[in-house]
Amino acid sequence: MTQSALSKRLLDEYAAVSDSLPTDVVSAERRQEAIQALAARGLPTTREENWRYTNLRPLERARFAPVAAAAAAAAPTVIPAGLDLPSTLTGFARFTFVDGTFAPELSSEHAQAGSTVRNLRRAPESSARRQGSTAGTRPLTAPSGCPEASLALLNEAFATDTALISVRGGTDAPQRVELVFVAVAGADVGASYPRIQVALDPDSRLILVERHVSAGSGASFVNSSVSVDIGRGAHLTHYRLQRAGARSAWLDTLTAVLAADGRYSLLTINTGGLSARSTTQVQMAGPGAELILSAAALGDRQQTQDHFALVEHIAPRARTDQTFRGIASGRARVAFNGKITVREAAAGTDSRQSLRGLLAGPAAEIDVRPQLEIYTDDVRCSHGATAGKLDDSMLFYLLSRGLSPEVAQRLLKWAFLEDVVSKIELPELRRQIEHDLAGQMADAASLKELL
Amino acid sequence: MLKIDNLHVKVDGKEILQGLTLEIPSGEVHAVMGPNGSGKSTLANVLAGRPGYEITAGSVTFQGRDLLALAPEERAREGVFLGFQYPVEIPGVNNVYLLKAAVNAARKHRGLEEVDAFEFLTLVREKMRLMRMEESMLSRGVNEGFSGGEKKRNEILQMLVLEPRLAILDETDSGLDIDALKIVANGVNTLRSPARSLVLVTHYQRLLDYIVPDHVHVLVKGRIARSGDKSLALELERRGYDWVTGEAA
Ligand SMILES: Nc1ncnc2c1ncn2[C@@H]1O[C@H](COP(=O)(O)OP(=O)(O)O)[C@@H](O)[C@H]1O
Ligand SMILES: [Mg+2]
Repeated sequence: MTQSALSKRLLDEYAAVSDSLPTDVVSAERRQEAIQALAARGLPTTREENWRYTNLRPLERARFAPVAAAAAAAAPTVIPAGLDLPSTLTGFARFTFVDGTFAPELSSEHAQAGSTVRNLRRAPESSARRQGSTAGTRPLTAPSGCPEASLALLNEAFATDTALISVRGGTDAPQRVELVFVAVAGADVGASYPRIQVALDPDSRLILVERHVSAGSGASFVNSSVSVDIGRGAHLTHYRLQRAGARSAWLDTLTAVLAADGRYSLLTINTGGLSARSTTQVQMAGPGAELILSAAALGDRQQTQDHFALVEHIAPRARTDQTFRGIASGRARVAFNGKITVREAAAGTDSRQSLRGLLAGPAAEIDVRPQLEIYTDDVRCSHGATAGKLDDSMLFYLLSRGLSPEVAQRLLKWAFLEDVVSKIELPELRRQIEHDLAGQMADAASLKELL
Repeated sequence: MLKIDNLHVKVDGKEILQGLTLEIPSGEVHAVMGPNGSGKSTLANVLAGRPGYEITAGSVTFQGRDLLALAPEERAREGVFLGFQYPVEIPGVNNVYLLKAAVNAARKHRGLEEVDAFEFLTLVREKMRLMRMEESMLSRGVNEGFSGGEKKRNEILQMLVLEPRLAILDETDSGLDIDALKIVANGVNTLRSPARSLVLVTHYQRLLDYIVPDHVHVLVKGRIARSGDKSLALELERRGYDWVTGEAA
């Protein structure tokens, strides 16, 4: 399909459902603006530099209208029988969204004094209204019109709900919130638009666990958008765990802004989806801000895992520490493109990048790409990027101790992810993730005993 | 135990072992000495089955079987152990996990049940005390961040836990101070038994003061140029390798 035909279909689909889209989530004007901007710009294509490795074909086939609009507007969410959600984490309030819409039956609130979490639809009448604020309608798209963030416009136009998290300062104990997004419907029925807005007041603390899973093996189309605003001296630890169904398209845009001395520890693990793409865009807007971005991706069979991370330093003395570990097995394609821009005003920037890809299949493809754009002399930047196969001498060492080649390879793949997995500070979550990862790697029986 | 006959080995098209013949009976300790580049590590690696070596002629028999026909992991399970000259660091693979996996691989091969976790840890701790290793090293990655001496001690620890029939220790003494050397030698000596053979590959005779060999061989240009008892090592120390290389030339 040509770009213009795709844009036309986008506008048509929007026109058909726009009246049924909730204006308390995004106002009608903003939806209109978003869809126009996106249609004018066009959906991304692989001809664009930073979309080269993405599998964008699902965009051509997807129905853009959301699942919720396909169903009767206020119909209760259909929770599939036998839905197997990840175990809850001790001390975390859980909010579950099914096909982009809040599902209170699957959620468990814990009263937490220092924060407000609400969804914008089907919230108890009072909480959304009482606030009477328009916070939920703040644009989630990138401030600078970054072309890589264009899929956030798609979310903005069609979103059916928003998870709003605001954290107040003044308590030392971090707030703990878990968001679970479940994709159920197939792409032929409609799309799912997870949407999160997080705001941390100065000096506040939040640990946020965000999960994306699928029910059944349906081929879903998920397009999520996350906006993060970290106030002065605030700390956010954010775990993003994507294991969408094996036939799904999962597209994602996250934009974050850090004020002075803000700290953002973002750890992403992408293992699911047939075609997965994450766009992460972080602006170091305040002096002394710190970003620890750690990402792991596993691709097997025909999967595509593509991650583009843009970090922009505009204030002095901020730090970025970026780690990527990706493994491509089977015929999978795994890519990480880490771009760091240091503007004139960002003197004293310290940025480190360690990007590594492991090629674990004869027909697999791996691409790790560091990009540095520096407009000031006063910086310390170190970056390393390697892509290769398993280390022969490590492999031989394990064989020489009697391990079978299969077990040895699996162990080394496991070890390869260690630099990311070891950064998970919650033991309970780390165990869960280790089990998930072990399960993701073929024939994990012998790995499980390791845990 | 081990019989090497007229072994010729090429690396990158260059012949490194040029007709090496050596027999190591059960219960004996043999030292293989030689100048740098004479092919000592090549021999050790070929015995352990490392890829990248082209065997152009000769044979190696281990307990009556064709050793060269076995995959590296099969050799290990049959009781061949190589102590590496340069043990590799494997961050993320837990030391104790590797030990346990190695022990269980050998046990499975012999039709035995997996080792009991508690008994296993007790055994490992005992051997670690013998090697004067900090217990915290168990939970670290294999050789990760270990000093040269710690890596060598870890090799010996693995050997003590695995109890191989044939151990080939490739320059286990190099880079060790005298205290560490004594610890390593003591560890190795506890393993000496009539049912077990040891090959000590070394550049210096110093190790042989602590692990006294039954035989000493000098490897020069890919062949055994001279064999003798432990006094040969002392003579080499006194006269230098030129003495043998000159003779062999
Ligand atoms: N992987 C290799 N590739 C090329 N040459 C090698 C390789 N390994 C060993 N060699 C060569 O083989 C010879 C013997 O090496 P080595 O067996 O390591 O000797 P030693 O252990 O006695 O010092 C040397 O000339 C060395 O350069
Ligand atoms: Mg050597």
